[in-house]
Amino acid sequence: MSPLRSILLVAARDFKERVTSRAFQLSTGITILFVAAWIVVPAIFFDNKPDTWTIGIIGEEPAGFTAAVETASGHAAIVTTTPYDSRDAAETALDDGDIAMAVDSSGTVLVDNGTSDQMQAAVVTGLATISIAQRADELGIEVTDLADLVTGGYHVESVAPAGEADTERGRIFAFFVTVVLFMSIVTYGSWILIGVIEEKTSRVVEVVLGTLRPHQLLAGKVLGIGVLGIAQVLAIGVVAMILLPLQHAFQIPSAAGSVLFWAFTWYLLGFAFYSVAYAAAGSLVSRQEEAQNAAFPLTMMLMAAYFIASFSITGDNPVLRIASLLPMFAPMTMPLRVAGGDVAVWEMALSLSLMVISVYGLMRFAGRVYSGGVLQGVGRVKWKEAFRASRS
Amino acid sequence: MLEINELRKQYGDVVALDGCSFQVRRGQLLGFLGPNGSGKTTTMRSVFSLVRPDSGTVRWQGAPIDAPIRLRFGYMPEQRGLYPRMKVATQLVYFARLHGMEKTAATRAAQHWLERLGLADRAASRLEQLSHGNQQRIQLAAALIHDPELLILDEPFSGLDPIGVEDMMGILVERAGQGTAVVFSSHQLDLVEDLCEDVVIISAGKVVLAGPIRELRARSSHRYLEVEIATNTGNLGRAFPGYEVISSHDGRIRLRVDDQTPLEPLVRSAAALGRVRQFSYTPPNLSEVFREVVDQ
Repeated sequence: MSPLRSILLVAARDFKERVTSRAFQLSTGITILFVAAWIVVPAIFFDNKPDTWTIGIIGEEPAGFTAAVETASGHAAIVTTTPYDSRDAAETALDDGDIAMAVDSSGTVLVDNGTSDQMQAAVVTGLATISIAQRADELGIEVTDLADLVTGGYHVESVAPAGEADTERGRIFAFFVTVVLFMSIVTYGSWILIGVIEEKTSRVVEVVLGTLRPHQLLAGKVLGIGVLGIAQVLAIGVVAMILLPLQHAFQIPSAAGSVLFWAFTWYLLGFAFYSVAYAAAGSLVSRQEEAQNAAFPLTMMLMAAYFIASFSITGDNPVLRIASLLPMFAPMTMPLRVAGGDVAVWEMALSLSLMVISVYGLMRFAGRVYSGGVLQGVGRVKWKEAFRASRS
Repeated sequence: MLEINELRKQYGDVVALDGCSFQVRRGQLLGFLGPNGSGKTTTMRSVFSLVRPDSGTVRWQGAPIDAPIRLRFGYMPEQRGLYPRMKVATQLVYFARLHGMEKTAATRAAQHWLERLGLADRAASRLEQLSHGNQQRIQLAAALIHDPELLILDEPFSGLDPIGVEDMMGILVERAGQGTAVVFSSHQLDLVEDLCEDVVIISAGKVVLAGPIRELRARSSHRYLEVEIATNTGNLGRAFPGYEVISSHDGRIRLRVDDQTPLEPLVRSAAALGRVRQFSYTPPNLSEVFREVVDQ
């Protein structure tokens, strides 16, 4: 039987046993519900839809009134009008809050405390625009562009360098992926940690290791649990993507193709690296109670990586540059540098090579420590002793 | 044939194996005996490369054991354990597939063994829902599921009730009959004597005695004399001065004598005690052989 087949068998078992377990289904369901609530509840209570302005009209409505006011508001509002027979009726409606403002065609604009400055400005500007257009028409001036007529042909132009906004967006996107990576590792790393100890506590390990090598068992576990974790992240992500349009103000961070590609590549690499590292930590101990202690150095490393990334979100610095080459920090820092657009090809190549080598090395190391610890029945192995043992 | 050749293994100052060698043929049922800490488990683990010996070789059919060959072996370790939350049938299929079987064949084998062990109705139960005895049966099935050429069982009888012991014996005899080489360790020597013809006795990491039980018994320089007197139910301890008394109670006495000892004086001494119900002169049983070689 090929080593790959053994690994896939182990992975399939770990995947299936977990995906069919009540605990997994419950936790996935609760997480999805939580995420859905987190999106839907604010959408209900803090509606970001354009305002609707109801404006009373006494007498005849000026031609093109609603369109002119909507344009003047910068399309922040949808305007509807309600006709009133008399000024008294309009004032009563204003008082009752049925309308926020009223326009008397005789030449008065009625406001009260409920009228926002924005609305008042938009209505006055709208009326002015209509008036200018009418006068121009009377004078025989042909109006082709109303806005042009009002602004006298001026328009706004940004002189900020064109790439800067893209870089900024890219960094925000890269950091967003880093946050997701951090949360994924924290969650699924502990699953892997517990999963690796499972065979030892149930003592099935000797039977299993009679058929395959320890590093194959660990690789299979990391693969099975890792794929499950990524599937769960995707499921949560899909639900979030479907619901997010409910929040009108929300914009999914977007980025250029290369940033997108490297952010996801490093997400997978980072997930792989830390998963294997957690498997190595799990191989050091034989009881669940000792698991978190063994994983402590990893938790610290992970926190450090996260802090370097969050302090470097505004731009490049020497710490970021060094961190992006080291396997434990690269997954969280390299995408930021890619977004900044200053990564040399050799740096990326070096960082990727170190990453791949260390994932493989960690797997072999963990395999040796694992078999040694299991069969000699020792409790907890120290990282240092384990490393020495793995070389002999 | 499994050939274990001059295995040596040291853990720090502790010598676990000190040149252990023996062979097992296909179709042979071999009892692997020895006191606690004599190196039985280490030897068994060496076959599965769970322990890497400092020196010595393990060969199967003349070739060193590599990963593909190892998959044709079955192993029941002393520390029993399967996945507690996994369903019984799924679990057996998993172990069959780890041994290289295809899915359909594995499923069929799992079904066969569950029926054979009378557990077909528990196929969909989680292992932890089964009784201790039934969990042991599943453990055995996990070692047999792929129809191994070599079966190694570390203390297969420990923790079994008399019915479980009988089932286990039946299956081991059957496997050997079908051409599997079977090696098992046990401390229940009466049971070993009933079950198999050949034993290997290991002590302090070295094989001290090996061969057919009948020959090992006959080869001993001691004989055991057992006398029972119907008319005298007292203590006969002083009736045979000059001989080594092994036990004496209720009109029965067991003596250990040299195999060259003339019997006539003993027959006369026995007859003088009263009506003789039993007078037997036998080679040592397996327990006694064991004690003789291990005590040295």
